[in-house]
Amino acid sequence: MRTAYLVLFVTILHFSCFAQNRELLYNFTAIPQSSLVNPGADVSYKFYFGFPVLSGISVNAGSSSFSAYDLFADNGVDFNDKVRNAINTSSRNDKVVANQQLELFSGGFRIGGRESRSYISFGLYQEFDFFMYVPKDMALLALDGNKNYIGRSFDLSDLSVKAEVLSVFHVGFHKKVNDKFVYGGRAKIYSSGANATSTKNSGYIYTGQNAGTPNLYTQIISSDLELKTSGISTFTKDEYEGNIAKDISHNTFFNGSLGLGFDAGFTYYIKDNLQLTASIIDVGFIKQSKDIETLTYKGTYQYEGVNPDFMNSDDPENVFDEFDKAIPRDTLYNKYTTWRPVKFYSSIQYSFGEARSDDECNCLGKVDKYYKNAVGVQVFAMTTPRAPIGAFTAFYRRNIFRKLDLKATYTFDSFSNKNIGLGLAGTLGKVNMYLLVNNILEFKDVTKANSAAFQFGINFIFQDPKD
Amino acid sequence: MDLIYSRIFKIFFLVFFLSSCSSDLDFDQTKNLKLEPAFVANLAYFDVKANDLIVDDEIQVLAGVGGFDVFKDKFFNDHLRKAELDFEIENTIARAFAVRFLLLNANDEVLQTISFAVPAYNGTSNIIKYPTEVFENQRLELLKQTVKIGTVVVMGSGQPLDQNSSGSLKLRSGATAYIVIE
Repeated sequence: MRTAYLVLFVTILHFSCFAQNRELLYNFTAIPQSSLVNPGADVSYKFYFGFPVLSGISVNAGSSSFSAYDLFADNGVDFNDKVRNAINTSSRNDKVVANQQLELFSGGFRIGGRESRSYISFGLYQEFDFFMYVPKDMALLALDGNKNYIGRSFDLSDLSVKAEVLSVFHVGFHKKVNDKFVYGGRAKIYSSGANATSTKNSGYIYTGQNAGTPNLYTQIISSDLELKTSGISTFTKDEYEGNIAKDISHNTFFNGSLGLGFDAGFTYYIKDNLQLTASIIDVGFIKQSKDIETLTYKGTYQYEGVNPDFMNSDDPENVFDEFDKAIPRDTLYNKYTTWRPVKFYSSIQYSFGEARSDDECNCLGKVDKYYKNAVGVQVFAMTTPRAPIGAFTAFYRRNIFRKLDLKATYTFDSFSNKNIGLGLAGTLGKVNMYLLVNNILEFKDVTKANSAAFQFGINFIFQDPKD
Repeated sequence: MDLIYSRIFKIFFLVFFLSSCSSDLDFDQTKNLKLEPAFVANLAYFDVKANDLIVDDEIQVLAGVGGFDVFKDKFFNDHLRKAELDFEIENTIARAFAVRFLLLNANDEVLQTISFAVPAYNGTSNIIKYPTEVFENQRLELLKQTVKIGTVVVMGSGQPLDQNSSGSLKLRSGATAYIVIE
């Protein structure tokens, strides 16, 4: 009961969270950070570096069933009714997600000679991930109790949540083999400051009423619950007197649980103006090993009620003792491995509206040709504790000026079927800036949006001077 | 050209920030969160066969005690606002009974007694559902001190039972706990 109540409360507290699809950044090659979502993106530079801390800021949150407005609107409706509505309109497969990334530093440079088209890039970013399915059955139990649900089994596997704060140091390589093909890969070292994972739960709470049985109710709790934590248990102790935020950030960068992973991707020009790309991101794991603690409640308990013992007067059994014996709370200290959510992207893009560089006269006779427009589609998929989630995006990219690009996207996913995003990336001299915002239709009232994403950054890019 | 770029960026930023509105949200509402679940659970049960009640005496008394420590849980104790107890007795023995249900505290003192009259079996269905016992306010406070439940079965007058006496006396009971959390 208490657990169910806590779960409900955590649902509300964590409402402000988001998904991980970066449909605007993907293949937006005017932005060096696009190689973070496809290490084989066709990005070129002599060298670049990100403005420290401001090169890549992204926050992204979503809830597939209810919005902040649904819960917190200042409209006179009783909060409890709003909670009830939010729970009733949710299903166990609705999710509440959040992702935030902050790039601390990043850079890249070309290796080899002037004609080389091989590049190394590197960086360090901090990431926060939260993913939870709406624990519908437990929320119902907390809201209503079991009285009106005789015969129903409340499914404990509805409880599925994970959260992590980590830092990622990465080094990538990409090479434009020829005019048709670019490939790239990125190695990552993860350092997880805090992790909580409770995704492999099962069991049920059942109350039935059957004639002919010795009890009024048939009551069974079958529980296989497990919460694994790393980097958190210190803070839950009474004697802890530090600053949690400070300690977590220290652990994230200097004393985290370590892991390894990689990204890979390519760009292939089927024709001059027809391009295919694909990437797979965050194939990796973290060996959770610092300050680990696993709590389990495993067992089955059938509650019969009190049976007065007419035959002898020994000390009677007690309900709580029986329950604790049947479903004991165990604390384990085993290391565990978590897998990063793997992301997959792919796109096909058709370009049109051929243009030539309008820079000064190119005396060497090299024709700098490009396309002013591109249209295409992208797909995105990500692993989750249950079935993978996906998104489908149609996009249009327009080159407004030679170094100013606009990308518009229309995305269809489980959070929204009318998510329109707009992105702008431009280079002024050596300064490259970008701003990407999705779900702009909901900007007229952002509190009603089921998801929102925002990315922003500043880089310095150096190209070879024109010969 | 640079000027145009910077204007475009400025406009884009302004459009983004100025056009985005948000309704007033009131996060203080979470303080109004009030959960009022109602839980049902078994309370007590027994099933006594007629031939377990064979005695020479005219009046047979069976007494037993069972542990009932749910109120040890502080959270449950603090948030329980009302409780209802429901009893159902089925008698298929050709004798009448009186069943007494005793709520006992840690010192075995009786806090409450609930009595049920059970008519003798006469060949037709003999299941009695007794009126719901409601515990609120002071009566609820007594209930919360309960740590044991005692049961006393007293046989009414009539023909003595023997080895061949058939039937049984069954009790089934449940509790409904009304919780308020705010």
